[in-house]
Amino acid sequence: MLVVRRRAGQSVLIGDDIEIQITEIGPTKVTLGIKAPKTVAVMRAEVKLTREQNAAAAEAVPPDSLAKLASALRLR
Amino acid sequence: MARPIEHLEQYASQMPHCETKYFGTAVYEDSAVLQFPAGLPGFESEARFLLLEQPGQRPLAFLQSLATPGLCFVTLPALSIDPSYELEVAEADLDLLGLDGRSPPRIGGELLCLAIVTVAETGITANLLAPLVINTRNLRGAQAIAPSRGYSHQHPLGEAEEAPCS
Repeated sequence: MLVVRRRAGQSVLIGDDIEIQITEIGPTKVTLGIKAPKTVAVMRAEVKLTREQNAAAAEAVPPDSLAKLASALRLR
Repeated sequence: MARPIEHLEQYASQMPHCETKYFGTAVYEDSAVLQFPAGLPGFESEARFLLLEQPGQRPLAFLQSLATPGLCFVTLPALSIDPSYELEVAEADLDLLGLDGRSPPRIGGELLCLAIVTVAETGITANLLAPLVINTRNLRGAQAIAPSRGYSHQHPLGEAEEAPCS
C-alpha cells in the first residue's frame, strides 16, 4: 500500500482523471474531496460491505434454520 | 371490532394484501406500511416494507418488500444480540427518519433497531455494522451504517449458542 503524507488542501492523483483532495483535517477525522469520472463508483467502504451483506441476506433462508435460530435465541 | 366470521374472507379481500416470501399472502393495513425513503444499500428502489412476526419465531422479525414478493429480510432486534448495543445514526439518516437530532437517538421509545440476519453455509450472522432503524412514530426507516463503533457486518450468531458449555 502506498502511504503518503498530505496537508489540508493538498491532493493525490490516481491515474489521469481521479483526484482525491484533503479538504479538512479534524482531531478524529479527515474530510476528503473526490473527483472522478461518472463511470467510476465512489462509495464509503462500509456502504459496499453493507450492499454485499444485504445481497447475501436476501437469499432464501431454509425454514428449518429459522426455527432453529429462533429456538436457540429463546433459550439464551 | 367484532365482525361476523362468514364475512371475514370478504373483509380481508377488500384490504390491501401482498404475496410474501415465507408466509403466503399477507393482509395488511396501509397504516402498517414502513417507508424507507432511500431504500437499502443494493436495494435502493425498495421503499415500502411490512414488518412481519410469526408467533413461534420471535424474536425474529421479517422485513417483507411490498414491491417484490421474493424479497424479505430476516431481522433480530440489535439489543437481543448485544444488550449493550449502541446506536449511531448519521445526519443524513436522521433526516430520512424525520428526527431532528437534538437529543442522541436511542433504541426503545420511538426507535426500533433491527439487525439483518444472513444464513450462509458458513454460519448465521447478523449485520450490526448497518442496522435497520425504524421511527415508530412516523413509520420511516433507514439502514443506518455505523462505522465508528467497530461493530461487524458479520456478527456470528447461532453456532456459538449451540456449542455445549465447557
